[in-house]
Amino acid sequence: MTIPSAPEDVRTGTLRTVGSGAAPELSSAQKLMIFVLSMSLFGLSNVILEIIPDVSVGPVEVDVSYFVFVPLTMVALFSPFWAALGAPLGEIVFTDLLMGDFSGLAEVEGFIQMFLALYVAGSLIRNPRNRGQLTFAAIMVVTIDKVLSAAVDLTKVFIGVEDAELVEGLPQSVLLLEGIGFGVDVIISGIIFGALPAIWLVPALHGKIEPLLGMRPRVPGEPIPGSAPRQGWFVLVAAALTVASFFFAFLEAWDVEVGAVDSDFRDTYGDGFLWVSVAALVLLLAVALAIARRKGKQR
Amino acid sequence: MTGATVQVPATSAVEDAHGPIITVRDLSFRYPGAARDTLRNVTLDIPRGGFVAVVGDNGSGKTTLCKTFNGLVPHYWAGEFAGEVRVAGVDTFTSCVAELSATVGYVYQDFQNQLVRPTVLDEVSFAPVNFGLADHRERATEALETLGLMDLAEKFVWQLSGGQAHLVALAAVLAMRPQVLVVDEPVAELDPARAEMIYQRLAALNTEHGITVVTIEHHAEFIARYARSVLLMDDGAPTWHLPVAEAFARSQELEAHGIPAPQTVQAVRALGLGGAPRTVAAAAEELRRLVPAGSAPVGCAPAVAETGARPGTPGEPCAGDGRGEVGTAVVRARGVAHAYRSVSGQLEPVLRGIDLVLAAGERIALVGSNGSGKTTLLRMLAGLAVPREGRIVVDGLDTRSASPAVLADHVAYLLQHPQQMFLTDSVRSDVALFPSQRKRPGTTELVAQVLDRVRLTGLADRDGRTLSGGQQRRGTLAIGLAMRPRLLLLDEPTSSLDSASRDDVIGMLADLRAHIECAVIATHDMHLVAEWATRVLVLDRGRVLADGTPRQILSEAGVLARARLRPPQVTQIGQALGLEPVPLSVAELAALVRGEEA
Amino acid sequence: MARKHRDVLTVEWVKLELIRTAYASRGGLFARMDPRVVVLWYLVLAIVPWLTHNITVLALLFALGVVSVVLARVGPLVLGLFVIGLGFDIVYTAVASLFFGGGWETLAALGMLNLKLGAVSMFSMAAFVSLDPEKLSDALLAFRAPKLLAFGVSYGYRMLPILMEEFITVFDGHRLRSAPVERPGLFGWRVVVRVAKTAVRCFYPIFLNTAVNVRTTIEALETKGFTYGAPDARALRLGTLRVAGIDWAVCAATAVLLTGAVLAGQAWPMFR
Repeated sequence: MTIPSAPEDVRTGTLRTVGSGAAPELSSAQKLMIFVLSMSLFGLSNVILEIIPDVSVGPVEVDVSYFVFVPLTMVALFSPFWAALGAPLGEIVFTDLLMGDFSGLAEVEGFIQMFLALYVAGSLIRNPRNRGQLTFAAIMVVTIDKVLSAAVDLTKVFIGVEDAELVEGLPQSVLLLEGIGFGVDVIISGIIFGALPAIWLVPALHGKIEPLLGMRPRVPGEPIPGSAPRQGWFVLVAAALTVASFFFAFLEAWDVEVGAVDSDFRDTYGDGFLWVSVAALVLLLAVALAIARRKGKQR
Repeated sequence: MTGATVQVPATSAVEDAHGPIITVRDLSFRYPGAARDTLRNVTLDIPRGGFVAVVGDNGSGKTTLCKTFNGLVPHYWAGEFAGEVRVAGVDTFTSCVAELSATVGYVYQDFQNQLVRPTVLDEVSFAPVNFGLADHRERATEALETLGLMDLAEKFVWQLSGGQAHLVALAAVLAMRPQVLVVDEPVAELDPARAEMIYQRLAALNTEHGITVVTIEHHAEFIARYARSVLLMDDGAPTWHLPVAEAFARSQELEAHGIPAPQTVQAVRALGLGGAPRTVAAAAEELRRLVPAGSAPVGCAPAVAETGARPGTPGEPCAGDGRGEVGTAVVRARGVAHAYRSVSGQLEPVLRGIDLVLAAGERIALVGSNGSGKTTLLRMLAGLAVPREGRIVVDGLDTRSASPAVLADHVAYLLQHPQQMFLTDSVRSDVALFPSQRKRPGTTELVAQVLDRVRLTGLADRDGRTLSGGQQRRGTLAIGLAMRPRLLLLDEPTSSLDSASRDDVIGMLADLRAHIECAVIATHDMHLVAEWATRVLVLDRGRVLADGTPRQILSEAGVLARARLRPPQVTQIGQALGLEPVPLSVAELAALVRGEEA
Repeated sequence: MARKHRDVLTVEWVKLELIRTAYASRGGLFARMDPRVVVLWYLVLAIVPWLTHNITVLALLFALGVVSVVLARVGPLVLGLFVIGLGFDIVYTAVASLFFGGGWETLAALGMLNLKLGAVSMFSMAAFVSLDPEKLSDALLAFRAPKLLAFGVSYGYRMLPILMEEFITVFDGHRLRSAPVERPGLFGWRVVVRVAKTAVRCFYPIFLNTAVNVRTTIEALETKGFTYGAPDARALRLGTLRVAGIDWAVCAATAVLLTGAVLAGQAWPMFR
């Protein structure tokens, strides 16, 4: 639709904006849009899964843990950072909280796992129309998420049970269950409800959905806008988040130390747990504050 | 195009007390990646205390213009911005959306998505809290009181009806005590009585509180009755900005831009009189001298048939199914009742004891206020829901035993929002979805033929969502036609369309008569009822309140009032003049008046 | 098979459930407390069980969890799911451990682990069933959590019914416009495949339609000053929060009971 420049197309006013307006840097409203869209869609997909009943074969649940293709499409088409931040929050808010299934601190750990998984997977995708990259990214999401979650689960067993490694069969059985669950998840969530739909959906939406949000579609190969907004602090926050994810591991270290001084343990017990609670709170608040600060600076 | 402005003379004390509130000078704007400027050299003034209706075709830049008033353009929607917009003296380019929002309130057409908080009070106090205003409580209460919404304060937003939700969106904006209120298509999805109420509130805000109101509107009746000036946008620039009386005197220009003159004006014109009466009373007054005195007092209109009766013989109520059949029955509903569960666990009835026979050859308009059960009834006819009580038989199939997928061979249900019917990435594949999935022979030819019939062949490879409002409706019609149903159900096919697109859709529906045996349209659009339907079913609180021909129904004042309906203006004029039978179109009115003149 | 109207798994049902989540939280002990205190209370109690292997203390904490759940008036559905989940967890892990040659020793260890997990879960249930999304959102804001997080919580609460409605409409559209499954196959696998495929296909229109809706929402947020960052906004939002007598009382009672549990643990220690 090219219209020959008619006389009325001559602008009488002074042009006040600079540049072509197609700056790759995202505005704060656009970040917010990506975040909210990712949150809504992943939340919705989780609600739908909630409604579909699970099938369990013995201890292994043969259910769809999540529609990986939904957040994968988001991170493939938009800034992986903001899309990855929104998706796990959608899961927490829409299903866990609203359906009355909120598990407090465990949600933090789920959030961090999913965020890292999606962020890494999204950063791997250089060309949203490349099937190989999409498939690999889908499997990466499930792998990172499940491996982190298995690590946390194992850690819980080791902290929760005194000298867990000495209890015969316990580590193996936990590992076995996690292993089977992981295999099932890679096939069902990673491929059937991850890679396969994403290979169809991402190219179908590419170039169509971005203008709706006032953005330019991603061009294959170009650096991802807003993927890691500021390298320095991102590394810092990522590290902080990993620390928080292995929150329980910290507790373990403390526990083992006290356990070693066995006789003192029960005497100092009363003070001890208070001290740790305070420390834990301080750590949590520090992470929250760090995130809040960063957000503030971004604006 | 000159982009000339015409200063609107002051028509009230508040207006123009301190010069215009919004001044636009040489404004041009281009969206990123667009081939051409959307706004081109716009220069205009919005007078302080004015009530401006912005009109123009889809794509004329109305919405973009209004978004420059609160800085969404260029601060939110980046692009090339030239010229200057000043709001209450502030240059919007150097200000920001948040600051400007304290002066200019913006209410979107899509009001559901602009309500962001769970409860009404929360929503209304949201903006004042964000701006750190300590008196946010008082502001919220004041805004709710102004609009008479105090009863709703504790309600959850999703419990609100469409009209209430719109008022809450308005209240949320008012809580900032803006000087200017921009409202994008306030009445697009509301029943006529609620639409009237919204405009009355806007008018009160304008006259009593001195708030400048700018609406984007294409309902000529509302513009004529409430606006003080009309701004006609064409192709990204204002053609003119005139006081409303002068604007309607240029009705041909308005018509060329998709705003046909209100029927009051059309009626007077059709009878060769000058002038542009803006209300029914004024038009009736003009026409009264053409009607001989003492003739035909407002008598009893033909009796409206009782519930469940056939409209075959006007004035003669006949109960039961078998009599006065127009054709074979397509739908038989008996004792249909339905209810939804409320929070307290009680059942809230939506449909009660509906007995209906819909026959081949009928064009049925289903009317009633928001929440009267129209959509629920359509969903039941389509088999998407089954009634709690009673039976519905569609084309010989009981909806209880046949699955919706099987029923879809017989019934097509077209949703109110076309974007929900575009399931694939092109109109063509959407139209082909049903016949190709069901392996109908000759699908390709059928699709080509149907697309041709709705004049979308050229656009068939685009995603339905990228089409204009009228084209989207035609796209959904094509989807329905390709299903080759015996019964076609349409939910509000003309809502939020400009008048030209609306007439286009009505015309197309009329043309399709031959292809659909029986059609049911749920609508608030009384023009559609008057011009298209052969039978009108009035629903009120889940019951059939009346069932008759459009003429019968539209002359029944009691029924109309209960169902919150308003006949087309031409019918109202006919009633005011005591014409018998009441006219349904301007041509009929003219013929009636002339006939009595002779 | 005659179709009947069902009240579950519909949009109306989801709306009702949401409203009930909000209404149901009225009346319980923690619902009357300041949400900040509830969150702190939870944080402390969620950590404490991990600090000991003393079964006496754990059992007392478990009992405290039961009391909290009763006081919070947790609904039977949530509670039922919790009990079943805990039970199955124990059984599966036990079976697997025995398979790997574990014995009573293993089972005792598992019992203790589940005592911990169970106690923590109950504290979390008691706390979060009592906090509707709005209160939780306020509490998060009070702890200086990112504004985005606090907003997300209440936004989800608001938008879920709209999103559900949109999805169900699109899903129904697919159902109507595709051919019915003729032969369901073994266990109706063809039906399952069809439903799964349809659910995935629905996301094409859902992505695009939701993007349009989100754009309006974010524009509205912008005009309502959500990103404005007025310094007093947070204070105003939290102005209604008050730490009252009941909060102190609950904290004191919890402290006393915790100390009691620890003392009892010292007096009658029991280890595996």
